[in-house]
Amino acid sequence: MSENMPLQAKIQAEVAALATSIADIVQKFKGLHHPLAESKEKVPVATQQLDKISEQTEAATHQMLDMVEQIQVREEKVIDGLTKMSEISELTEPNAASGLISELKELAQTNLNDAYTIMDALQFQDITAQQMNHAASLLEDIEVKLQSIMAIMAGKSVEEVKASYSKDRVFDPNADLFDKRTDQEAIDSLFSKNK
Amino acid sequence: MANLKILAVDDSPTMRRIIINTLKRAGFEDVVEACDGKDALAKMKVDKINFVITDWNMPEMDGLTFVSTLRSNAEYKSLPILMVTTRSVKDDIVEALKAGVNNYIVKPFTPDTLKEKIEQILAG
Repeated sequence: MSENMPLQAKIQAEVAALATSIADIVQKFKGLHHPLAESKEKVPVATQQLDKISEQTEAATHQMLDMVEQIQVREEKVIDGLTKMSEISELTEPNAASGLISELKELAQTNLNDAYTIMDALQFQDITAQQMNHAASLLEDIEVKLQSIMAIMAGKSVEEVKASYSKDRVFDPNADLFDKRTDQEAIDSLFSKNK
Repeated sequence: MANLKILAVDDSPTMRRIIINTLKRAGFEDVVEACDGKDALAKMKVDKINFVITDWNMPEMDGLTFVSTLRSNAEYKSLPILMVTTRSVKDDIVEALKAGVNNYIVKPFTPDTLKEKIEQILAG
């Protein structure tokens, strides 16, 4: 801009440049709206999928628990029956069937112990459900931020956006199947010191 | 053990089933269940509970608030409480200890550990 230019002309030129810049920014914001809207649509789908995995894993775990509990009941009956057979066999024909009965009892007991182990392992469902709730909660945070940006761009209230997200998720962010931050020995020591 | 009524508090139905099954295998037959602290307090008004096993992260009322609520009531000052939770950070364990739990197990637990801790608490 020339130094000899009258002040009014200089101001007009600056305002025109500013208007062009604002128009550029508005165009860029308009361009941003589409990917933001697209992301806003995708994030809740991911959250819903995580919730679905949690629900379906829980349902499957309960089916397994049903089966394991039924196996437990049956194997306990088998062991009881074999114990009675063993007693009868001892009275009538000592040693004739006792070897076979002992072997069957041992097998039934092994099945029962395996059923207990399967049941204990099903604790994974509670832990992975907490991990998925944690991931879903992080996705919801991103969704709220996207919604807030879009609300600001549309001149709407951000508070309304935040208020509409009220799903109360309960989880331990450090829940882990294998990595315990403090082992049982250290916990025991802590409690024995504070008795 | 025959007269012991245990309250198992956990928001996960899977965990409640596993805990109850483990308790029954260990000879603790009389078990009542609740899905969070609020539900547990309601159950305690109905049943005479002698031992509490509680989770920490639960909706409505979490395990820590539940334990503090119990300890603030003279009736439950010496009620045995075992916390069974995924929270394994030392500061959390210290917080639970301060709130008044008698012992603490991190999930996943083994049946032997659960039985051992119950017996330790009962033995005083």
